[in-house]
Amino acid sequence: MLRYLLGRIIATIPVVVLISLLVFLLIHAAPGDPADLLLSDEASAADIADARRRWGLDQPIYVQYLRFLANIASADLGTSFKYSDPVIGLIGERLPATIELAIASLLIAILIGIPLGVWAGAKPNSWADNLGSVLGFFGISMPSFWLGIMLILIVSGYFNWLPSSGRSTYGVGQGSDFYVIQSLLTGNLKTAWDGIKYIIMPAIALGTGMMGLVMRVTRSSVLEIISEDYVRTARAKGLDERTVLWRHVLRNALVPVITVVGLELGTLLSGSIIVETVFAWPGSGSLLIAAIQSRDYPLITGTVLTYTIAFVVINFAIDMLYALIDPRIRFG
Amino acid sequence: MKASCRRLTLILLASVAATATFGLAQNAEAGGQVTIGVTETIASYNPYADSISMGYAIWCQVYGCLGFYDYEKGDYVGILVERWEVDKADKNVWTFHLKRGVKRQNDGVEFTSADVIHSVNRINNDPQSKQKQNISPIKDISAVDKYTVKIVTKEPTASLLEYIFDRVIITAKDLYDKHGAREVDRKFPLGWGPYKLKELVIGQRIVLEKDSSHPDAKPKNPDTLIFSIMREAEQRVTALINNEIQIAQFIPPHLAERVSRATNAELLSTSSVEIMFLAMSPKYKPWDNLKLRQAVCYAIDRDLIIKNVLKAQADRLDGPIGPGQYGYDPEYTKKNLTIAYDPAKARELVKASGYNNEPVYLDAPVGRYINDKEVTEAMVPMLNAVGINARLRTPEWATLWADVQKGKTPFYYMGRGSVVDPSVALSQYFETNGSPRIGISDPEIDRTLAAERVAFDPAERKKALNIAFKAIEDAAPGCFMWRHHMLYGLSKTIVHKPNAAGRIFGTEIVVK
Repeated sequence: MLRYLLGRIIATIPVVVLISLLVFLLIHAAPGDPADLLLSDEASAADIADARRRWGLDQPIYVQYLRFLANIASADLGTSFKYSDPVIGLIGERLPATIELAIASLLIAILIGIPLGVWAGAKPNSWADNLGSVLGFFGISMPSFWLGIMLILIVSGYFNWLPSSGRSTYGVGQGSDFYVIQSLLTGNLKTAWDGIKYIIMPAIALGTGMMGLVMRVTRSSVLEIISEDYVRTARAKGLDERTVLWRHVLRNALVPVITVVGLELGTLLSGSIIVETVFAWPGSGSLLIAAIQSRDYPLITGTVLTYTIAFVVINFAIDMLYALIDPRIRFG
Repeated sequence: MKASCRRLTLILLASVAATATFGLAQNAEAGGQVTIGVTETIASYNPYADSISMGYAIWCQVYGCLGFYDYEKGDYVGILVERWEVDKADKNVWTFHLKRGVKRQNDGVEFTSADVIHSVNRINNDPQSKQKQNISPIKDISAVDKYTVKIVTKEPTASLLEYIFDRVIITAKDLYDKHGAREVDRKFPLGWGPYKLKELVIGQRIVLEKDSSHPDAKPKNPDTLIFSIMREAEQRVTALINNEIQIAQFIPPHLAERVSRATNAELLSTSSVEIMFLAMSPKYKPWDNLKLRQAVCYAIDRDLIIKNVLKAQADRLDGPIGPGQYGYDPEYTKKNLTIAYDPAKARELVKASGYNNEPVYLDAPVGRYINDKEVTEAMVPMLNAVGINARLRTPEWATLWADVQKGKTPFYYMGRGSVVDPSVALSQYFETNGSPRIGISDPEIDRTLAAERVAFDPAERKKALNIAFKAIEDAAPGCFMWRHHMLYGLSKTIVHKPNAAGRIFGTEIVVK
């Protein structure tokens, strides 16, 4: 197991280096210059040249890349051109908001998608199956930004139930770090509730697509498993239908669901880039958008690398989960 | 057991629904709190590390700035400066007399010339500074005494106040010396403005709290001012109608009606100081032809575009500036700078220019300015109608802007913001060596722009500026289009008169 673990970690290094090189080359190949975009309209050619020199943009691209790699080796992702702060600190400040949003979306997707899928799979072609399928297709086909805008218009605009944007109310909490999770853990229910009010809509917008997919995969998996011999055996043993369904069928149906959830976790992170913009959610996604718009090279590369590492870690965690769910799967 | 479980679930669901229905909507106005939905964020605690107009306005009311341009008076007004003068013998020497007895927030330390000098030096030397352009005309700065500062410019610059007045944020020298840059910005953001920095969550909100002891802070001004980042216009309007915010900045014309219909809010409109124009670079063919450039200006029916595409939310520009901007002369403008829509004349000019119908590409941004794509889409058939084979291109903003900055875009639609005194902007776009953005080199434009810079008497300077406007229009490197109206949604619980610069000062807001 330890060997497997080490192997996976070592295999990650070339992936990260390759991604960093690709991102670095692509972002530098894109038209637009950070100095042009970040300095004011009134900036002279000399001001622009001075900024380029300070940011090292006057150096050949290979020198810039080697310097970037050297910095990475010492756990330094450079300094943001736009925010004038270390990239690692900026990402560290914003990432918890994105992770918390991803967790909330995941909860919505799993808590709605799995029961709906089991329900639909257990009663194929019934009204429950039809309803579940409609909801599943709705989730899959609805673009998250559109759903987000609709939620703002209806839930905030028409009913005035939830705040339309942001992460926290001034005076209640700062809305930094793991705002809801920390508040819940420390028993600060007022702050937790404040955070929940803000996270509900972006989490629905982000999690609905995944919910649809989880529902569809769970349904087909349950349909397949439900006709297996061991399920018939369980029924023959006299177990009630609920136990058969939730203990014997669901546990075995979960392996493909976990694969999908694992793959979709990455989508949640990338999807959050758009949803965060729609809801003015101060996470790493909106940070990346701001960085791209201003061609903030260190911040773009740093954020993409963080996302890459997150993808790798998630995939690794999913592999580990397989072993927990299905004892027949072993790594070595 | 099963029944009790179901009952418990039902009770939980009902309580969540009830709370959602009755308990979530918030009213942010309690206690004189005013929230403003804004589109930009301050990028750093360092007041010199960013150069956006909202940032200058926020830091000016926290730390303080020398003065500002009063659109109603049509002149500059001092904030930390009481009066100023230019040396009659040497037009490079300016003397600024500072207000006396201005006490700093919390510790009451007095504002002096050392703070002004420190601030200018920090803009110049701080490695994070993005504001060097604001002090570019300054050659030297020194203290005459505790309350008098002498600035020597590199060359006579009549528009010096435009550079420095609300653009040089005044920070405390003693606090900087004691704590260093990073500590002082984050832990001791104390200044001489009427509001204190209470909270800065970059990307989310900026919170200011009124310093009631400040002479400019009145009891009816909001106690707390929150700038909440909301990039989407839809979001700002929804938040305004929901009473989440009290001022919604930059409402696009298509959402104006929604605000007008709201019972709790009103729609306010003000002219802006952003001039929109079409640029034609004589470095490229066929724009090296004066007649063809002039034809473009006659071919565009600006009134029609304003009425139908911009929903009347813009003012036509005759010449580079309009009412409220420094140097505007309505009489002179009417007589000398007005270019009426005249397609017949445009056709004649096209014919006379010898233009051979080669395609010309009009580059325009999408979403950068109000209805920019729609506006330029309307221009193309107008140009086609007079015989110019124009086609529209809409590159991504960063690409377009980089090319414009390098002088690689022959024909484009663009805006130039913050044009209070037009001197800097006109020099940048139309003077030889100003910038490569248009790349025109015209001796008459150069001469007239140089003349306005050394005219220090206000009446003389306004006259000189108008002569320069005429020289620019005659050479036609650009056609001036309009200034957009800035639409604001305002809660009926407050009184505020938006200004052309888009500056929002807490002391200009009254809570009813």
